[in-house]
Amino acid sequence: MAILVSSTVADGAAVVAEIERRSGERVSACYQCGRCTSTCTGSFVFDYPPHRIMRLLQLGQVDEVLNSRTAQLCFDCMTCSTRCPMNIDVANVIEHAKMIADERGIEGDEKDVRLFRLAFLQNVRRHGRLHEARLLTWINLRSFKPFNDLELVPLILRKKKIHIVPPRIRNRRQLHRIFREVNSGDKS
Amino acid sequence: MNNRSRKDSAAIKAPASAKPGRNAYSYFPGCSLTGSAGEYDASFRLTSEALGIRLDEISDWNCCGASPAPHHWSGNLGVLLPARNLHIASGEHEAMVAPCAGCYNRLKNAQHELTGSQELREQAARVLQEPVRYEIEILNLVELFAREVSPEALAERAQGRLAGLNLATYYGCLLTRPAKIMNFDNHRNPVSMKPLLRATGAQSDHFPFKSECCGSYMGLAKKEIVLRASRRVIEVAAGLGFDAIVTACPLCHQNLDLRQGQINKAFGTSLDMPVLYYSQVLGLALGLGSDDLGIDAHAISARKLLAKIGKGDDGPAAATRSAPAATRPTPEATRSAPAEQTRPAAGKSAAGS
Repeated sequence: MAILVSSTVADGAAVVAEIERRSGERVSACYQCGRCTSTCTGSFVFDYPPHRIMRLLQLGQVDEVLNSRTAQLCFDCMTCSTRCPMNIDVANVIEHAKMIADERGIEGDEKDVRLFRLAFLQNVRRHGRLHEARLLTWINLRSFKPFNDLELVPLILRKKKIHIVPPRIRNRRQLHRIFREVNSGDKS
Repeated sequence: MNNRSRKDSAAIKAPASAKPGRNAYSYFPGCSLTGSAGEYDASFRLTSEALGIRLDEISDWNCCGASPAPHHWSGNLGVLLPARNLHIASGEHEAMVAPCAGCYNRLKNAQHELTGSQELREQAARVLQEPVRYEIEILNLVELFAREVSPEALAERAQGRLAGLNLATYYGCLLTRPAKIMNFDNHRNPVSMKPLLRATGAQSDHFPFKSECCGSYMGLAKKEIVLRASRRVIEVAAGLGFDAIVTACPLCHQNLDLRQGQINKAFGTSLDMPVLYYSQVLGLALGLGSDDLGIDAHAISARKLLAKIGKGDDGPAAATRSAPAATRPTPEATRSAPAEQTRPAAGKSAAGS
């Protein structure tokens, strides 16, 4: 398996150190047994399976990691972490790579996943609670897939699984303060 | 900031699992239980009531942030959203219960991070405009029932009602992982649903896919992940001859039940596996009505399963189905002791402890 050398070494080492510091995991402890990959739920849609992400980080190849589909798509089921013989929380490592990619404004190809996360949070920001009907509508319109999951709608209505009126919390001042607080750029 | 280490758990007190029941708990329903998983909420409330557990819904709770919050606007949104709930709940009871595995996971993560970071506590205090309280004990629903009712007490009340069923226990990811923070059950081989399930009279053989992932929140954005992951879980359960999968997570339920038709369409399979909430199964065992427990609210009908335990359309309950819920005499009611028919409004029933 070829691993292309394209990151600058200095930046790579700094980012790996940052991932290790934030996550508390030791990337260097991985000895590439591949158990994480053998249990990974999503590896069939990832470009780099988890053990290769670990190897790339060991080699300081952070550009590959930060731009990978894995970093965009991993949904933190943590099965890999459960299986690691070195007790590395692999999912936590990927999670922090994902956050750094986000901070650097790397969008990647998997726009729908990013869109979903944003849509979810905007929904919560507005009312304090999730309004599932609005989330489904919003994401279908924004991702240009208006018929996504439409076949479920009659079922959802019949089984009364949806709110028509959005639920909302009373103390929205506090809610707005939460979102202002995290938006104030406290990312040190 | 953003130091979201899962390793350093020394600061968190390990919950003593053998603690006696407290009887009254703060209840955090979360968004799913007030929306698409209404039957989980209904069955949890009814079953708790029948077991003499008091639930006080946390006043003006907000969304826990679920999976998306930790990824955006810095990781701290994933702490501050649940922190507000912890703060409110800490003023109400000593322990709280979050039946949604996702909420449970976020709340415990937030508690862990608040415990480890002065900076986060200050941030939370700025938002709340008073010092943040976060030390309330957080329980999931499986944990709560394990604490509040013993298998012996349940067996006595269940009188083998669910005999003949073989139930697959499905824990998924978020109840047990990351193990160092959740500190609940054995994360490689969780077993905590089994004692009470067996006390219902049902069989509960080993289900090897009990902690495989169902595909999580990717249903809207990357459906193939969910369809593939959930198909494996359902197929294995079907292949092993289970009558139903039992879960304690609304998102797992959505993926396994609501999307089962999509799975069949995508892969040409003909899966027909009922997925029940743990609280529904315990409710059935206690003789509560299947309509009240919302068994009908699922996409995959549990009719065959109910017929097996004498509650199906062919069963003796069919004749009384149209009667109002409160007065409906069920065959269970005639079988059980009179004392069990009146749900204790408050105070602990004999089955507690």
